[in-house]
Amino acid sequence: MPTYRHLDEELSTLREQLDRMMQLVEAQLAEVVNALLACSRTGAEAVVQQDREIDALELAIDRQCERILALQQPVAVDLRMLIAASKINKDLERIGDECKNIARAIPHLCAAPEVLRVTRFEQMADVARSMFRKVQDALHRRDRLLARQVIAEDQQVDRLYLQDFNDLVAYGAAHPEHMEAVAHLFSVAKALERIADHIKNIGEDIVFLIDAVDIRHRELQQEADGSDAPA
Amino acid sequence: MEQPNTASPTEVARKDGQAPAPRPDGPSPCHADKVKIEVHDLHFWYGEKPALKGISMQIRARRVTAFIGPSGCGKSTLLRCFNRMNELIPGTRHEGQVLLDGADIHEADPVVLRRRVGMVFQKPNPFPKSIYQNIAWGARINGYRGNMDELVEHCLRQAALWDEVKDRLNDNAYGLSGGQQQRLCIARALAVEPDVLLMDEPASALDPIATSKLEETILQLKEHYTVVVVTHNMQQAARISDETAFFYLGELIEMDETEALFTHPARQRTEDYITGRFG
Repeated sequence: MPTYRHLDEELSTLREQLDRMMQLVEAQLAEVVNALLACSRTGAEAVVQQDREIDALELAIDRQCERILALQQPVAVDLRMLIAASKINKDLERIGDECKNIARAIPHLCAAPEVLRVTRFEQMADVARSMFRKVQDALHRRDRLLARQVIAEDQQVDRLYLQDFNDLVAYGAAHPEHMEAVAHLFSVAKALERIADHIKNIGEDIVFLIDAVDIRHRELQQEADGSDAPA
Repeated sequence: MEQPNTASPTEVARKDGQAPAPRPDGPSPCHADKVKIEVHDLHFWYGEKPALKGISMQIRARRVTAFIGPSGCGKSTLLRCFNRMNELIPGTRHEGQVLLDGADIHEADPVVLRRRVGMVFQKPNPFPKSIYQNIAWGARINGYRGNMDELVEHCLRQAALWDEVKDRLNDNAYGLSGGQQQRLCIARALAVEPDVLLMDEPASALDPIATSKLEETILQLKEHYTVVVVTHNMQQAARISDETAFFYLGELIEMDETEALFTHPARQRTEDYITGRFG
């Protein structure tokens, strides 16, 4: 039977804050995708306003991590929880920023909504939102396989981004009168691709939290392993 | 302290003409990462009560090894096995082997063994003599014939105490602070040129500043000595040791590089202990 610890209470507060952050960012992502696909200026404005709440929560989570580190000096799984929480917090805040960037581009797209039909934004957003729900589940259930599945799914978004990039280049060349809208679409495509990257990062942090294994930049780690091997 | 690996009367000559087998009371070479102490299936009893249950481990030379675990887990008992201090307690017995540089310590003269394996205790215990005499006395009765002033200075420097006491070497050691007294005890232990320093909760009676100085001293000592520290302070074990061994109910549960043990321990019981979830 585990003993009660003050640290458990502090970590519980941190987990609740992280849950709240995930809910806010998930809602933000859904709202900005809806606003984008509907060319809704009102929806876009709401997304920009709500980003302040995400920023405020980011600061609160950082303070909680700092507080636990300073006062509790955790080790092992507790330390990994703090490290992972701190990095997940940063990635969530960056997703919030990307949502805000998309929202700011929306008014420029409303002038030429037909350009939006060139893109695969809806498909990219569906994959990204699915990835986001999975990392939420993976974190709650400490599910390493689900976290790794999310990491792999980032490639789908990368492929869609590359296709969009090429199509937008071609469309811009054929329709120079829509060049401003195309330029904003490039930034939206990039933002969606970056959102998926941040979700992938969260998946990697979850694997680190569960397995104490850093799976980022495998090629560098393999190089390091190779250099240690006997000639 | 490192000794040249030359033949000496303390080595056991072999009839087959091979190099003499080392004796635990004799001088020994000491290289970093060489195994200094080997423990094989060691059991220890206080009367009928088992305190150690089949411990096997290796302590590497010129490293700091920390023993951690809850009270009564056997860590201090094991430490005291390394210089046969436990034999001074009536009714105790052991089975298994402890090898120092490959030689069984139970075949050694315990007095000579304790000169090679020095000990620093939880509570500083300087002699009621001057600072100088605290160091010189042990060396003198062990037949030291060199320059005593140089030895005293050398030992005090190694214990990171010289700068604080060089102008008052003839003052009574009891006038030093607790932290200074503990470092004086380390200097005293070094005066007989040991290979290994055992420390049983050496900072538990010290304030944070004195603890910090003692930890710095321990980190410097490993350049020349093999250090084994028993501590209840896990942050201290993490700060100063290269390897950490976790004991529970007389058993060695896990031993690993300190960084590995404190970041991703292999055993759930170790993780429960270091994270304070011991039920």
